[in-house]
Amino acid sequence: MVKSIHIEKLNYVYQSGTPFSRRALTDVSLDIKTGSYTAIIGHTGSGKSTLLQHLNGLLKPTSGSLTVAGNHITSETKNKELNELRHHVGFVFQFPEAQLFEETVLKDIAFAPKNFGKSDEEAEQVAAKMATLVGLPDSVLDSSPFELSGGQMRRVAIAGVLAMEPQILVLDEPTAGLDPKGRLEMMEMFEQLHQEQHLTIILVTHQMNDVANYADHVVVMENGGLIANSTPERVFSDPDWLHKHHLGLPQTTAFAAKLAKQGVPFETLPLTEKQLAEKLAELMPQSGGELHG
Amino acid sequence: MVVPFVYAFNILNLYFFMFRIMVLLILKTKFERERTMDGIIDIKDLCFRYSQENEKLDLSHVDLHVNEGEWLAVIGHNGSGKSTLAKAIDGLIEPESGEIFVDGQKLTEESLWNIRKKIGMVFQNPDNQFVGADVEGDVAFGLENQGIEREEMHIRVKEALQVVNMQDFAKHEPVRLSGGQKQRVAIAGVLALRPKIVIFDESTSMLDPEGRMQIISLIKQMNREEGFTVISITHDIDEASLADRVVVVDDGKIMGDSLPEELFQKGNELIDLGLDVPYPQRLKFELNKRGIQTPSEYMDEGSMVNWLSRSILKN
Amino acid sequence: MDKMLLGRYINGESLIHHLDPRGKLFLSFYFIVIVFLCNNWETYVLMAAMVMLFVKLSDISLGFFIKGVRPLIWLILFTVLLQIFFSSGGQVFWHFGPFTITDQGLINGVFVFCRFVLIIFMSTLLTLTTTPIEISDGLESLLKPLTKIKVPVYEIALMLSIALRFVPTLMDETTKIMNAQRARGVNFGEGNLLKQIKSVIPLLIPLFVSSFNRAEDLATAMEARGYHGGEGRTKYREQEWRKNDTLAVILFIALTGALIFLRN
Ligand SMILES: Nc1ncnc2c1ncn2[C@@H]1O[C@H](COP(=O)(O)OP(=O)(O)OP(=O)(O)O)[C@@H](O)[C@H]1O
Ligand SMILES: Nc1ncnc2c1ncn2[C@@H]1O[C@H](COP(=O)(O)OP(=O)(O)OP(=O)(O)O)[C@@H](O)[C@H]1O
Ligand SMILES: [Mg+2]
Ligand SMILES: [Mg+2]
Repeated sequence: MVKSIHIEKLNYVYQSGTPFSRRALTDVSLDIKTGSYTAIIGHTGSGKSTLLQHLNGLLKPTSGSLTVAGNHITSETKNKELNELRHHVGFVFQFPEAQLFEETVLKDIAFAPKNFGKSDEEAEQVAAKMATLVGLPDSVLDSSPFELSGGQMRRVAIAGVLAMEPQILVLDEPTAGLDPKGRLEMMEMFEQLHQEQHLTIILVTHQMNDVANYADHVVVMENGGLIANSTPERVFSDPDWLHKHHLGLPQTTAFAAKLAKQGVPFETLPLTEKQLAEKLAELMPQSGGELHG
Repeated sequence: MVVPFVYAFNILNLYFFMFRIMVLLILKTKFERERTMDGIIDIKDLCFRYSQENEKLDLSHVDLHVNEGEWLAVIGHNGSGKSTLAKAIDGLIEPESGEIFVDGQKLTEESLWNIRKKIGMVFQNPDNQFVGADVEGDVAFGLENQGIEREEMHIRVKEALQVVNMQDFAKHEPVRLSGGQKQRVAIAGVLALRPKIVIFDESTSMLDPEGRMQIISLIKQMNREEGFTVISITHDIDEASLADRVVVVDDGKIMGDSLPEELFQKGNELIDLGLDVPYPQRLKFELNKRGIQTPSEYMDEGSMVNWLSRSILKN
Repeated sequence: MDKMLLGRYINGESLIHHLDPRGKLFLSFYFIVIVFLCNNWETYVLMAAMVMLFVKLSDISLGFFIKGVRPLIWLILFTVLLQIFFSSGGQVFWHFGPFTITDQGLINGVFVFCRFVLIIFMSTLLTLTTTPIEISDGLESLLKPLTKIKVPVYEIALMLSIALRFVPTLMDETTKIMNAQRARGVNFGEGNLLKQIKSVIPLLIPLFVSSFNRAEDLATAMEARGYHGGEGRTKYREQEWRKNDTLAVILFIALTGALIFLRN
């Protein structure tokens, strides 16, 4: 497998050289493979967003370096050199609907491709395609993005990022503030993109269920450093360690841990409902419902 | 070249911001007459629309009765009208028709300020409700509005901060607080006013899991131990399951009114009502798919764990 | 937006930090007035000595004050040059058209420079040792007499304090939206003027919309907490006039006396 992102000894200090300076990342080294789905978790203020912003050059390392989609970035990298990189990295910020500004939905989605050199026509074609992909009805394309509901605005913003046709998609808590239905639809949409277009996805989230359901890799951050870099199975197999670092468990794992306490045997704790139901089905007598029929 | 321009714009924006607040505060709502009723909140045939051009009502013939000391959860998908309902109860918007009674008093222009004293509100965005320059200043804001003496204010602010466990942060400015801490300050601001009813409008939805759990347990303490009537608008299943009663709002109408356990039995339908499906329900669904029969009545996590371990370990 | 260090409050427990903001505010203005009494070396040296004493008492390193001068340096130099070239009197060193350099001119130039630096140091001292909210409270008390002629002093002060509280929030917002648009391929501050102005639109519209929504939320929250104008409001923060404040005033009176005595 090819390395899509290679981070080496990355350090970052906010407002470096002033009395308000504040260290946010310490010696972070990390590799992310092309086509993988990586979740980054950690307590608030652990440096997740700071790390993400390095991935498309919004922040430049105080020391150390990183290579993203073939672009090498150090503290010396000039802003001009970043354009190429930004073209390949789609970045969905927290509450991305704040970035909308155009008169119509279609124009707003077409904004990024135009900036990266597509003609107006091409850009609008991609835009229309992406609007469908995120589930926006055609009827809203010519209305103002500010007339839409919160969930629809979120979709417009995400379509606007996808329209760049990036190789890497960076998501910083993309479902915060949505209702459960919106959250589910959004996560399913990213999963589909991952499956069908083989996008490399990096997701920052506080929702352990999403980590369990979608990610194939987990990075755990604390105080600006990495404290784990492994698979969901491994990370979630140690509830005590997670608890010590103020992190939760996916609902299934927590539930299975309770069952294990009651004496139900598990070799490894399952991560998703499906896995748990599978396991329980094995353990149960098939005529099961002796209580209430 | 751009940066100074942005600074200049930000200053302009700030002026605009102040101006906007002034305008909004000057445009006060207006109401009529008075009568008394039982129940702490009683809403009769309430209708409202945001603008005359709207064909549809944003609140449509709402009837709602809230008992004293009760914890009522209000659920519904995004844009269903939950916040609008909350604002109507506090007299922050003017209904088109219908009546609202709070603690036996009809909501009118005259009774408005008196009624607001009985209701505390905590909103969704932690940043947009922090008025004071620092934590204690923010908690005191409501007290200042009521013209309470300074000595009394100091006592109440201190007490309120202790309840939410923020006494060590009294002098902190909002920039140095996390979202969860800001929400706790907002709750302290409400507690200091000693209202009878507290309305939480998605107060946990912008928080991380730890902050969310802290706020939920704080709401629980306020309702169970200190006797506040609580109305919590939420998409959060943990929060809704603690309530005494849940009403479902859809399209500006009250579509359901039930005990949490009754509601949770609906399974996958809950997603359309703006709520997660409770975990035991989801697991039951998966088990049923694999040919395992489960008890038909609603089970919470504890009883589901018990049932499963009993039926497995019996063999 | 990380460069906003200028004049930012620095936490401290010094004598100066603990002075009453009303006194500090008034004396800072007063200081600017009496700087104009200075007209010879003795008076400038005296004032400089006073300012250095205050800086020492504030426990804040001199570097911060010097940084405060930097952004205004062009304005200062321009004024100084104006003084040097256009003053007359005394011995003429150089002469060309309307420009003359005289010894009097040079001295005036130096004086103007000193005057600027003194004023900037003093204002920086005020903002470094006084929180914005104290300044706004102080202003409110000082302006209170204006309520008699129907100036809404309470409201203005409250709005000012809210605006101050939201400065960091709006700055944060600006950074966030700039980042979001950069990620969508906008290059701020590059290309020709037209291009630059165009690049600002995707920043300004979202900022405007967000501050609109914020104001709406905030107004609702304030109203829900019973805000209905300045009438009948009490104040939580109290301002306490202590012995040190009286001493500071006496010091300034003495200083004025000394200046009048020393100037020619
Ligand atoms: N612009 C800034 N200036 C100074 N310090 C900052 C800035 N942005 C973040 N920090 C600090 O850097 C640290 C890491 O912040 P970061 O936003 O990366 O955390 P996070 O893990 O994304 O948290 P959350 O889960 O709350 O989003 C925190 O201590 C934060 O206070
Ligand atoms: N200030 C406003 N002006 C005009 N229309 C509004 C305003 N606020 C809300 N609406 C509209 O009223 C309807 C109900 O909105 P409301 O905010 O009450 O929904 P909600 O149930 O609280 O949703 P959410 O879960 O997103 O908070 C929506 O269609 C919304 O677009
Ligand atoms: Mg973050
Ligand atoms: Mg709402």
